[in-house]
Amino acid sequence: MRYSMRWLAGVVLLVGAPLGAQDARLEQRLDAATAARVGAIVDSARAAGLPTRPLTSKALEGASKGAPGARIIAAVSRLAQGLRSARDVLGPSTDAELDAAASALMLGVRAEEVAAVRGARSGERLTVPLAVLADLVAYGVPSDAATQAVVQLAGRSEDEALLDFRRDVERDIALGAPPAAAAAVRLNSAGRLESDLTTQQIGIPPPKPRKP
Amino acid sequence: MSDDELIERAAEELRRPVRMDPAVDARVMATVHALPRLGAARGGSGWWAWLTQPLTVRFSPLGALGGAMAVLIAAVVLVPRLTPDDGPGGVAMTTALSEAELIAGSDSTHMVQFVFVAPTAHSVSLVGDFNNWEMDATPLSAGPSRSVWTVRLPLANGRHRYAFVVDDSTWAADPSAPPAAGDDFGVPSSVITVAERSS
Amino acid sequence: MTALAAPSDAVLVRRVLAGEVEAYAGLVARYRDRFGRFATQMLGSQEDAEEALQDAFVRGYRALGRCEDPDRFGSWLFRILVNRCRTHGAKRARRERTIVLDEIALKSAGVDGGAEAAAWREAIEWALGKLDEAQREAFLLKYVEDLSYEEMAELTGVGVSALKMRVKRACDRLRVMLREVERV
Repeated sequence: MRYSMRWLAGVVLLVGAPLGAQDARLEQRLDAATAARVGAIVDSARAAGLPTRPLTSKALEGASKGAPGARIIAAVSRLAQGLRSARDVLGPSTDAELDAAASALMLGVRAEEVAAVRGARSGERLTVPLAVLADLVAYGVPSDAATQAVVQLAGRSEDEALLDFRRDVERDIALGAPPAAAAAVRLNSAGRLESDLTTQQIGIPPPKPRKP
Repeated sequence: MSDDELIERAAEELRRPVRMDPAVDARVMATVHALPRLGAARGGSGWWAWLTQPLTVRFSPLGALGGAMAVLIAAVVLVPRLTPDDGPGGVAMTTALSEAELIAGSDSTHMVQFVFVAPTAHSVSLVGDFNNWEMDATPLSAGPSRSVWTVRLPLANGRHRYAFVVDDSTWAADPSAPPAAGDDFGVPSSVITVAERSS
Repeated sequence: MTALAAPSDAVLVRRVLAGEVEAYAGLVARYRDRFGRFATQMLGSQEDAEEALQDAFVRGYRALGRCEDPDRFGSWLFRILVNRCRTHGAKRARRERTIVLDEIALKSAGVDGGAEAAAWREAIEWALGKLDEAQREAFLLKYVEDLSYEEMAELTGVGVSALKMRVKRACDRLRVMLREVERV
């Protein structure tokens, strides 16, 4: 009996410790009212089985950047909703996958587009494809074009290829290419690489300019 | 148009300035930092032998996938310049591509090095999800000329939002890294991804 | 912000040789775009050009103790870059030539001056890509980098007569190809 009670006490202490730590960080960095509201959102997310680290981090980010309490609460609330929506689309997933999917949804990617990415990698890790989707949209690639690219690449390539694709598109955009064109051209290149073109296709004549 | 004019017109087009990816700077400096310092290496046959060794240069951020403690380079270059043709010491800004992404082979943490070039800064800090967004938690260290600032830290699998703070007051996202989604509170942040390898 | 005078190549080289690694960043930033232009036009691919450029900068760092005239660091490094481009050019696979066309299309998508300017640029780059490597190198050094034949000889190790012949043949071929494009 004494052993069981000690064991139970240990379990309670163990479970209690992380909660206490999170509350302490929020209480130290936010005003009382904001900390309480954010804490409630975090508790609610935890009860729903959603990752809470991104929520606490978002609040601490707002605190460091000097944001008013109301804005911090709104940002954390929106992120919690994003995580909830991500879980609705993906089903049981890792925290990293939910975080990446939430980012994509919050950037305007539609639920069915996220679902399409999940479908392209059935039963396999989704963090990188979802992260690449979110990153492409963050760079201005329209969500349908980004989704098409990620779905095609995720279905036939390793994660390394997805990251290479994202890096190439980002570089092209940074150098002045329109985002949609950058994604389309790189996707087209990736597809043509895979089809192993022959030498005969090299001598494609240039488009014909009008006379100066 | 005469033949000479045609060639000259073509040459004129080719002489247009080209803007290369500023990430080149950061990748070069990251590699150079890993080499022995030139001042310490001079003199003796050992130096000559080192200098004439063939060099394998790899710039892929995924080049260290094999190890559990892979070290990658994430780079943000903040180089004030006087005019577009001048080197550091001026006023405008260029940035480099952040390539701090790793596909992990396990759930272990992975060391990531952040490099920030800011010749006129007095201090640079890295602030993000991994250090509770505390301004003083992760200061970068400057080299002797105080131009290149670096820090290494272990990052767990997942997405990590971050930004740099220069001189305790100026926030700087990594413009070449993906911007973080969601409300940035008026101050943009960047995001890197550390993820498990797909099966 | 306050404008500051930029240190010369020689000053930066001496600082690097004294152990101040970070000073090399100044040299890299100074020459990146100009040398990148040559590498891109030689290799036809921005990605290959970046690789050759980075390679050249790193080799330049390692060999900096052998730069006899730090005031002419740029010329000295450019020779390294020309050699790197030759090495990278020899390794290029067939598939990269098809990517060149896409990259041209991509760059043209954002070019000021509209479709006509973009098409002209595309035609020039296509024609340049059709030259053999030696002619392309000679043409770029003469007409784009604006070097004298003596400077080109020192850079490439090729005699002045041979260089003049390469430039002439490059111009002849370019003329034919660009006229063909112009006619349509």
